[in-house]
Amino acid sequence: MSDILKIEPIDNWLKKNNWAIYNHQIETLNLSEKGYDVLLVAPTGGGKTLAGFLPSLNDLINNKPKKNNLHTLYISPLKALTIDVHRNLTSPIEDQGLDIRVETRTGDTSAYKKNRQKVLPPDMLMTTPESLALLLSHKESKDYFNNLKYLVIDEIHTLVNTKRGDLLSLNLSRISSISPNCKRIGLSATVKNKNAVLKFLTSKKKAKTLNVEETSVPKIDILETNNRVPWSGHMASYAIRDIYQKIKKSSLTIVFVNTRAQAELVFNKLWQENDNNLRIAIHHGSLEKEIRRKVESLMSLGKIDCVVATSSLDLGIDWGDVDLVVQIGSPKGISRFLQRIGRSNHRFDEPSNALLVPSNRFEYLECLSAINSIKNKLLDETKEKKGSLDVLAQHILGVACSGPFQVDELYNQVINAWPYRNLTKIKFFEVLEFVKNGGYSLKHYEQYSKIGINKDKFYAIKNKSIRNRYRLNVGTIVESYMLKVKLGNRTLGQVEEWFIEGLNEGDTFLFSGRVLEYQSISNNSVIVKSTSHTQPKIPSYAGGRLPLSTELSIEVRKLLSKKKNWKNFPSQINEWLKLQSKFSNLPSLNGLLVETFPRLMRGKKRFFLICYTFEGRNANQTLGFLMSKKMQRIGYKPISFVVTDYALAIWSINEVTDVNIILNDDLMLDDLYEWLEETPLLKKNFRDAAIISGLIERSIPGQKKTGKQVLFNSDLIFNVLKKHEPKHLLLEVAREDCYRGLIDLDRLSEFLKRIEKNIAHEKLDRISPLAVPLILEINRQTIDKSEMEEYLLEELENEMLSEVGLN
Amino acid sequence: MKTIIFNKHKFQISNEGILFWFHKQIAIISDLHLEKGSSFGYSGQFLPPYDSEETLKKLFKGIKNHNIKKVILLGDTFHDKNAFNRMPEKAFFLFNSLIKKYEVIFILGNHENKLKIDNINLLNEYVIDDIHFIHQALQKSIFQISGHFHPVATIKSSIKKITAKCLLHTNNHIILPSFGTYTGGLNINDPALKPFVNHKSYVYMLTKKSIYKFTSKEVEI
Repeated sequence: MSDILKIEPIDNWLKKNNWAIYNHQIETLNLSEKGYDVLLVAPTGGGKTLAGFLPSLNDLINNKPKKNNLHTLYISPLKALTIDVHRNLTSPIEDQGLDIRVETRTGDTSAYKKNRQKVLPPDMLMTTPESLALLLSHKESKDYFNNLKYLVIDEIHTLVNTKRGDLLSLNLSRISSISPNCKRIGLSATVKNKNAVLKFLTSKKKAKTLNVEETSVPKIDILETNNRVPWSGHMASYAIRDIYQKIKKSSLTIVFVNTRAQAELVFNKLWQENDNNLRIAIHHGSLEKEIRRKVESLMSLGKIDCVVATSSLDLGIDWGDVDLVVQIGSPKGISRFLQRIGRSNHRFDEPSNALLVPSNRFEYLECLSAINSIKNKLLDETKEKKGSLDVLAQHILGVACSGPFQVDELYNQVINAWPYRNLTKIKFFEVLEFVKNGGYSLKHYEQYSKIGINKDKFYAIKNKSIRNRYRLNVGTIVESYMLKVKLGNRTLGQVEEWFIEGLNEGDTFLFSGRVLEYQSISNNSVIVKSTSHTQPKIPSYAGGRLPLSTELSIEVRKLLSKKKNWKNFPSQINEWLKLQSKFSNLPSLNGLLVETFPRLMRGKKRFFLICYTFEGRNANQTLGFLMSKKMQRIGYKPISFVVTDYALAIWSINEVTDVNIILNDDLMLDDLYEWLEETPLLKKNFRDAAIISGLIERSIPGQKKTGKQVLFNSDLIFNVLKKHEPKHLLLEVAREDCYRGLIDLDRLSEFLKRIEKNIAHEKLDRISPLAVPLILEINRQTIDKSEMEEYLLEELENEMLSEVGLN
Repeated sequence: MKTIIFNKHKFQISNEGILFWFHKQIAIISDLHLEKGSSFGYSGQFLPPYDSEETLKKLFKGIKNHNIKKVILLGDTFHDKNAFNRMPEKAFFLFNSLIKKYEVIFILGNHENKLKIDNINLLNEYVIDDIHFIHQALQKSIFQISGHFHPVATIKSSIKKITAKCLLHTNNHIILPSFGTYTGGLNINDPALKPFVNHKSYVYMLTKKSIYKFTSKEVEI
């Protein structure tokens, strides 16, 4: 290997900064030169981004292709990353006075700049999958991408097996048809299934994966504390003082949390501890863009001591010299955790420094398992997903917007996209029919068809307004309706409408790191004022909780099932488990521990049944529904249940005597399909599919809802469609998403198979130590919401009417 | 069903949103908005074209077991001037059976200004005894039963807020909720409804299973 790239300006620039060249950078360049598409898999901070751009820079510098053509397209899943990479690339270009124009194009780019980019394309354009879809829907898109030479896709592993990835993959296939010789470079963090990522990147035979091993083992500790680790909860308040001490000793710390609520709370508590006036900031997705950018730039300038952040800071962005990463709560997955600790010492030949802070006792076990997994180089696996048909519907309309297309040609283009490789022509036509006129068996809309066939057998959109509406609805991320939070004239950020609907005037809540008092809603904004309260009345809002990954759950079970593992646990955890083994039993590696015991609840004797599944909250939730349904049939009279990532607790009026009958798998899955049709989950997935496919339109920010012209309620449509066309395309999409996503069907059936004939039933006379965290969860969750509504209304009516003497 | 005494007459409201005047063998329904779904088809939004059929089936089901002779539709029966012609065959058949089986009184709604259907007369007002049936409530001291506003109400329990379609009863007004399958709602706190809501108002909230009666004070304002 040589120690120069033979790209003079870049070599000069590296030398000037005293930066080394990595082998994989040279290899990426060489492979690409030889005509390969390259997937570069490397840990964070290995000069991955530069490697991705070297082939393109080389071509621009040495071969000087003609100007005013888009030469290189860079795609990243995050807007912030496009900006960061833009900044990093501009540095050598400006330093060496290179004649290369680099620009970004995202949802935030001004219309003026977008127009200019259309007329005068930069050499390199950095964009997101959604903005790419929009670019490709323009009539001129063929000319625009005609001379494209290089395509760089960053953090590609986060897009594989997602709907966003489906959209990107379809558009990549289009680019292939426009400029077949364009070379691709994918950049990925370490993943288990590299081949799937490579296939996603390219369908060419001439493609290679370059794998860079982590050279240093990260240094990860679990926080040692003199305080009690709580039984349940997710806020880790007990550890704040200890964390603060660590922050004090480091120069720049990122404190990662899993939800925005945690971010707000931890931030608030850290400031209460902040006797040394450290510069502590907060960063999460709901905060206003300007506020986030400000925090980011302060970080890179080293003007901040600590940032409390959610996944908004997860991906490869380089924000200065972080020397400690604190993770509060379990990271829930190994790959995600690796990515987060990669934030510290952002250079891959130095070990990263990380501190794990479990927020409850089960999480302590989880954190320990995560560390073991990293030592043993285990990685999470993502489940493979077929290309979604709602995304395909959006794409077909997008293609039609860019110009007339031929059916066979488009079909071939679609199956060239990896997620859609097995799509049958029949299904394709079904989706096409849906785009044309809704795809109903009742032919009601043929005369309004969105796309029609012209005399040359080409499909085309009927009019311009279809293109304009397509543009407003592009993308696969369906968000809740958001309202701006305004303090005086300042906008602090955005918050979901449903959260505000639950507030009364004068209620206080945490946002943007401060306690705010809710006043009113006006013009789509939430008007708040500052308050002297330090404790918010409304504690938190949920969001972004991830289920425990399968791999991590296996590790936790391993840890628990072997007593010799426990000797390194802190004494309180050790004693807790010892007590459990004396009192009841411990979950085994492959079987299932079930406990039953009576307990008083609101003054009445109830029978509790606890299953320690360790299968994540989604699978547990589904299992809970199924088990209670079966218990109902048998006559145990179940009342309700709660779940955590680890276990599930059901309580009933009658005692469950035969656990095996309830957990028999054949019967249960029949129940599942029946149950699914009635769940809010299916409705939610339907809403998303309806929006992605274009059946109903997105609510446009700033558009005021007025009286009867409320946005179309997807539940109404859902009910009608289910009754009249239960096999409609969108219902099928919704069902599939349900099975895959929230109910975690695959994981559940694997679980049921695994535990068959391997159930240990412990009949106890009272609650076991391991069950305590679950029973504490009961106050947080409830069962059937609609039943509850009827009940609440009845109760309220009686109360109130008798109060005014009307009953 | 819940009973509402309105100027000494006895009415009953069903949880589907049908107001009965059993003494006169009358059923009163408002805002069917037939073919609202397909009205979006012009602009390329293809909602499931079964809403008219659903609405009419629900109407039949709601009245067939009662001894009803006359049906009063309080306006906006059709969503727009072409809605009648757009109706799919099944819905059309149901509509024809309705007007054959019952004496149907059509009140003219604001969506129906340019609507013309052979043999169907759209009335501005229909009066029985001292009760006036109109589309949109008037600020007059006559006893009126109307629709138009699609009222919904929100009530706050200790755990969450619940929003449902409702019938509004204030002094000389009864305002019916919308009946059409795809129709949305206007909260009774909206300024447009202010003239018809006061401390003597009653709100009948309609759910899948039942009807709940509240005073206007209890419903969020």
